[in-house]
Amino acid sequence: MVKQEATANINLKMKKVLVVDDFFNFRLTMKNMLRSLGIMYIDDAANGEEAIKKLAARKFDIILCDYNLGPGKSGQQVLEEAKYRGYINYAGIFIMVTAENTLEMIMGAMEYEPDDYLMKPFAKEVLEKKIKSVTLKKENVRDIEKAIIDSDFDHALRICDELIAQSPANLAEIMKLKGEVLLKKGAYAEAAEFYDKVLTMGNMTWARLGRGRADLLLGRYEDAKNRFEEILAQNNKVIAAYDELARTYLKSGQPEEAQQVLMKAAAISPRALLRHKTLGGLAYRNEDYTTAETSFRAAVVHGKHSCFKTTSDYTQLAKSMVMRDALQESLQVLGQASREFPESPDTRLHLSAAESLVYTKMNKPAEAKRALAQAHKYAQDLAGDLPSAVALDLAQAHLLAGDVEKGTDIIRGVIGANHDNDDVLNTIRIVFKETGMPEKGEKIIKDTTEDIMRLNNEGVDLARRGKLAEAIDYFEKAAARLPENKIINANAAQVLMLFMKQNGPDEERLSKASSYLERVRRIDGAYADIPMLLSMYRELASREVSS
Amino acid sequence: MTPKMSFSDILASTLHDTKNSLGILFNNLENIIAGCREKNCAQYQDFYLLQYEIKRLNHSLIRLLSLYKAEKSQLTMNVDFHSARELLEDVAVQHEILLASRGIQVDIDCDGGLFHAMDRNLIMGVIDNIINNAFRYTKSAVRLSAAVDGGYFVIRVEDDGDGYPPSMLFNEQQDPNFSGNVDFSTGSTGLGLYFSTMVAQMHVNRDQSGFISIYNGGTLGGGVFSIYLP
Repeated sequence: MVKQEATANINLKMKKVLVVDDFFNFRLTMKNMLRSLGIMYIDDAANGEEAIKKLAARKFDIILCDYNLGPGKSGQQVLEEAKYRGYINYAGIFIMVTAENTLEMIMGAMEYEPDDYLMKPFAKEVLEKKIKSVTLKKENVRDIEKAIIDSDFDHALRICDELIAQSPANLAEIMKLKGEVLLKKGAYAEAAEFYDKVLTMGNMTWARLGRGRADLLLGRYEDAKNRFEEILAQNNKVIAAYDELARTYLKSGQPEEAQQVLMKAAAISPRALLRHKTLGGLAYRNEDYTTAETSFRAAVVHGKHSCFKTTSDYTQLAKSMVMRDALQESLQVLGQASREFPESPDTRLHLSAAESLVYTKMNKPAEAKRALAQAHKYAQDLAGDLPSAVALDLAQAHLLAGDVEKGTDIIRGVIGANHDNDDVLNTIRIVFKETGMPEKGEKIIKDTTEDIMRLNNEGVDLARRGKLAEAIDYFEKAAARLPENKIINANAAQVLMLFMKQNGPDEERLSKASSYLERVRRIDGAYADIPMLLSMYRELASREVSS
Repeated sequence: MTPKMSFSDILASTLHDTKNSLGILFNNLENIIAGCREKNCAQYQDFYLLQYEIKRLNHSLIRLLSLYKAEKSQLTMNVDFHSARELLEDVAVQHEILLASRGIQVDIDCDGGLFHAMDRNLIMGVIDNIINNAFRYTKSAVRLSAAVDGGYFVIRVEDDGDGYPPSMLFNEQQDPNFSGNVDFSTGSTGLGLYFSTMVAQMHVNRDQSGFISIYNGGTLGGGVFSIYLP
């Protein structure tokens, strides 16, 4: 017998396992195999929808899911939704079961990757070895993933280095994680150096991608472009390289080139929903309404069973069609959306606002007004807490109906929450352009942005001059006025913590700082200052406990 | 009128279909064998032979699909840094039961700290094919080993059979610059050799590419297949 020292003593008995496959016979075979491995709790699902229901109801340790599940959700969509909704956490194991070479097709094309793949057909021994080796690997990766979720990147790096020194079987995975953590932490130069070292050991695509991302984040756009293009020259199926290349083009102010690159990626990986959305938005911005329409239509079609489906896919499709004078069809798209989404105020609001836009274009002011009035009513029910895409459609409807004050008010609110977000600001520019007020709009953007920066700088200045108590007071008021602005909220947390650093931590200020930090993470989980702020918070919190 | 499909595409899609059928066949047989073992009936050894043939067919189809993709320039490498020991264990576990049913023992000799950058699926395809052959020709043992040799990473499959026939010996001196051609007159074994050579050559690092070697002797005194990667 082959020795399997490391995996021999893993106990699977108490694991809860879910088998997802559309073939009854295959589910039966799998369950028999699992039972013969001593596993007692085994459940199964015949399709993606049933799988999601079961995953929502109970925590499973191991999910064995077929990629092809017939009509409805695919295995990939089950994985995405389960992770997105938190049904599987960092300790859960998801193994994707595939028939033959679909593997190549799906690799590297997605937001979430499974822990491992299993190729049909397989014998019991292969299944056992796979489950055990993934369980073992997961054990050492688990702590790293937990540290990443907590944004404790220094701790994650320490674990990575300890493991790398021991050369575990999943060494490549640990090295991959280390590179990602360095990039997340903002240590771009260090990441570049790390990837260079890895690349002396072999020509791994993930390391070349990581090296390119480091260049991109360091602002070396030409180097980054060269690296991504080199990867694609050798293998034109590396989807992630297209995404990074498009991002680089956007950063260096070439939206048309970015669009071309994403179009190639979308052709290779036609089922990837999020890319269709990005591409649609980019094409719309580039005034290529044909491509915008195609992409948003693809987003609508492929989003049918996805957790990433939003009303924006439909309203943006409708708007692209309006630009091509397909007005009647555009209304039909919105009608389809109102049947597909539940009767909730936020979806009704968005669709009514979009309808109003279309009716204005159709020269039907009465209908436009009625739809807008409805949208307005829903907006009041929701008390102003709107996603920016929805708020901007509503604002545009107001502007087109001639209510400039209401429209610009809403837009000022959106700028207040997003004054440093180029994507949102660009969308606002499009709204102003399409409503015939580009110059006035540019001035509103400039004034509002400057207002916020002044507001922020005054607070920062107070803190810099050591007037921390005043700075706290100042930022608390600012944060109440701009609850969705991450920089204001981050600074509110920071001055509170600076105060506690000097005067010792106390429960009340800690809890305030914590809720500001939570807001920042909710607004933008990838905000560069989060790790620094969190490590400051952790230190203070531990002092408070020990005192 | 629907556009005309090329014959090679029809062939490829039929291959996929056949592979799926084989998969179902394999799993059904797995159930039958399990039932048979419980009841202790005599034929279950014979069923292993059936399973062996299904596996052989399956590997042939995978190889054919890979060659088809290579022909259409669609075969792309997925190189990563892999534990040699884990790779050999994964191969062994797939063949172990079948080999054991003939009293053949599989041994692995490999340092747990040995890693190399390679396309795992392609390399496993090559070794699977060699072990399938060994099943027919070895007497009592198959030895899988991996090591670093002369700047190359090498995986070896050795057996204690009578060795490869002279016509199949290939690059016996293990020369990186060996330029001998593959002899196709030996039929399916020639195809396996062709595939192995292709996979070896696809692995390139610092201007060096991989190669294979087939000779007789080695630690078990039978056939020795080696694949060298830069």
